[in-house]
Amino acid sequence: MLKIKNLHARVEDHEILKGLNLEVGPGEVHAIMGPNGSGKSTLASVLSGREDYEVTEGSVDFDGIDLLDLDASDRAREGLFLAFQYPVEIPGVSNMNFMKAAINGKRAHRGLEPIKGKDFLDKVKECTELVELKGRLRDRSVNEGFSGGEKKRNEIFQMAMLEPKLAVLDETDSGLDIDALRVVSQGVNAMRSSERSFIVITHYQRLLDHIVPDFVHVLSEGKIIKSGGKELALELEEKGYDWL
Amino acid sequence: MIGSNDSFISNLQKKHYNADLRSKGREGLESLSAPTRRSERWKYSPISKLLTKSLKSCAGENVVWPEAIMPNPVPHLNAYLMVFRNGFFVSSLSDLPYADGVICTSASQSEYEAIDGTYHEKEWVGAMNAAYHQDGAYIKIDKGVVLDRPIIIHHLTNGEDIASLPRHSVILGDGAEADIILWNSATEDSSGMCNGIFEAHVGKNASLRLEKVCNEHGDIYNFSHESIRQERDSRFVTNNFTVRGSWVRNELCIKSQGEGTDSVFNGAYMPADSDHVDNHTTMDHAFPNCTSSEMYKGIMYDKSTGVFNGKIYVRLDAQKTAAFQQNSNIVASKGATINTKPELEIYADDVKCSHGCTVGQFDEEAMFYLNARGIDEESAKSLLVQAYIGDVLNSVKYEEIKNEVVRLYSERHGWL
Repeated sequence: MLKIKNLHARVEDHEILKGLNLEVGPGEVHAIMGPNGSGKSTLASVLSGREDYEVTEGSVDFDGIDLLDLDASDRAREGLFLAFQYPVEIPGVSNMNFMKAAINGKRAHRGLEPIKGKDFLDKVKECTELVELKGRLRDRSVNEGFSGGEKKRNEIFQMAMLEPKLAVLDETDSGLDIDALRVVSQGVNAMRSSERSFIVITHYQRLLDHIVPDFVHVLSEGKIIKSGGKELALELEEKGYDWL
Repeated sequence: MIGSNDSFISNLQKKHYNADLRSKGREGLESLSAPTRRSERWKYSPISKLLTKSLKSCAGENVVWPEAIMPNPVPHLNAYLMVFRNGFFVSSLSDLPYADGVICTSASQSEYEAIDGTYHEKEWVGAMNAAYHQDGAYIKIDKGVVLDRPIIIHHLTNGEDIASLPRHSVILGDGAEADIILWNSATEDSSGMCNGIFEAHVGKNASLRLEKVCNEHGDIYNFSHESIRQERDSRFVTNNFTVRGSWVRNELCIKSQGEGTDSVFNGAYMPADSDHVDNHTTMDHAFPNCTSSEMYKGIMYDKSTGVFNGKIYVRLDAQKTAAFQQNSNIVASKGATINTKPELEIYADDVKCSHGCTVGQFDEEAMFYLNARGIDEESAKSLLVQAYIGDVLNSVKYEEIKNEVVRLYSERHGWL
């Protein structure tokens, strides 16, 4: 599904990723943990195609496609999804128009007709139920005036609508209370399948109680320095990162 | 004599209604001079190129209406229609209301005098209209009468080196209500000037709504002056969309003449190519307990130039005035320019006034968020643009007008 080889990336003059290697197979859930400033969010940004980040070395193969050669919208159309750490408020653009444009963009990319109104509404209904997103929120402008928890639920709602091959969750648990964490995790778990992979970036083990990973990696100074199973997360929770 | 600009308007016909106003207009033309860059009000909107032309008045009634233009610019809207061409009324294409308490006719056929503003004393452009206006709408709604449908005033400029000088008057009696759509068009092959004046008197507790659209192809200098006088407790709402026009100057002057008036005036402009759009607004608060809210939003493309100048006066007696003004601009191309200037003059001491003016670019974060969901750059821009002018669009009362404005903008800017 995803093969990252020797990835180096920088922002302005700061080299942040320094030779990162990672392979994610279909249906796998990989958790990436690590101290502040280790490059976790940079990895999410580089994968999603944010332009401020310059890749200086290495490659990313996404299901046979050179991911780094695509712009952000084409990466999304190929099936990559980034759940933002800080979802953006877009006053005046309704959540529904936003999702319709996103789905139709993806469909056009595959040579399909725009989605039919009824099919779209059915899908909206199904996905809002998944994340317990009330109709009121659904009909408002994208993230405008949403609480932190509502924004994160909206991210998962969008993920469910777009059915990506690979979802990267960038600190989706930050700013969530226990109930919201449960709802978001349930949404993610409901989406797990043998075809769909996840990269879950988090500081805290608690998210991994809800979304149980197949692999846990520790990122430090731009490289993965340790990988293991789900039990590694518990060990990190207990001992911190210093012993590594 | 108007100095070196003699030939500019020498071909204009003499009309006979509004004789007093015409003679004042001619006096104005003698004492005032044509605007130059030296005057602050015209600094960024020079018209020297226009003044080299020799314009002519061209009758509208007996000429074939051009196929490219629908006589009714918003055909789906259930409305009355007054059609004008090059300043002249086209009665065969019009559909007027006939109801008790409503007079709606072409000004030249009415026995009533136009509202006699003072614009012709101050501006050469206004004096020219006062002296040479060809015709216009005359709408009078009696006390307490609510007009059952909106009236569309559609003005078409069509021909070469045309001088269109429409002059519309609207008088609302106390408690009367009317919605008016003022729509300006021009065909691709047209050139010259459309110098239009719209004057309204809004009686006590009356309510006037004016939706204004400029959709002029061709090479037209469009001078639009709206002068609104509001009596006590009256309400005035206007939304102004410059959809297309190579050179457009919108002047809006609102004068509150009694306590408790409410004025809402919004505008959206998105010039492209080398278009020029100028919005000059003046809100004059002279009485206590009045409110006004102004929001103009612009996106400047290509090599277009824009001007916003918003004056708000709060006079000494206008205590408890609440006046709000916002002008936001996005400069979408390197070659585009906007000159924006809020001017607040406040003499009363117990007022709430705020103004804001911004010039920026598209929100990069929002752009990336949309891209990251598979929405390509062009589609993302069109979503953001529609959202940006959404505040103004949403203030339009009639869906049919809103849809038509969006359709025209889409056509021009290639939105999806």
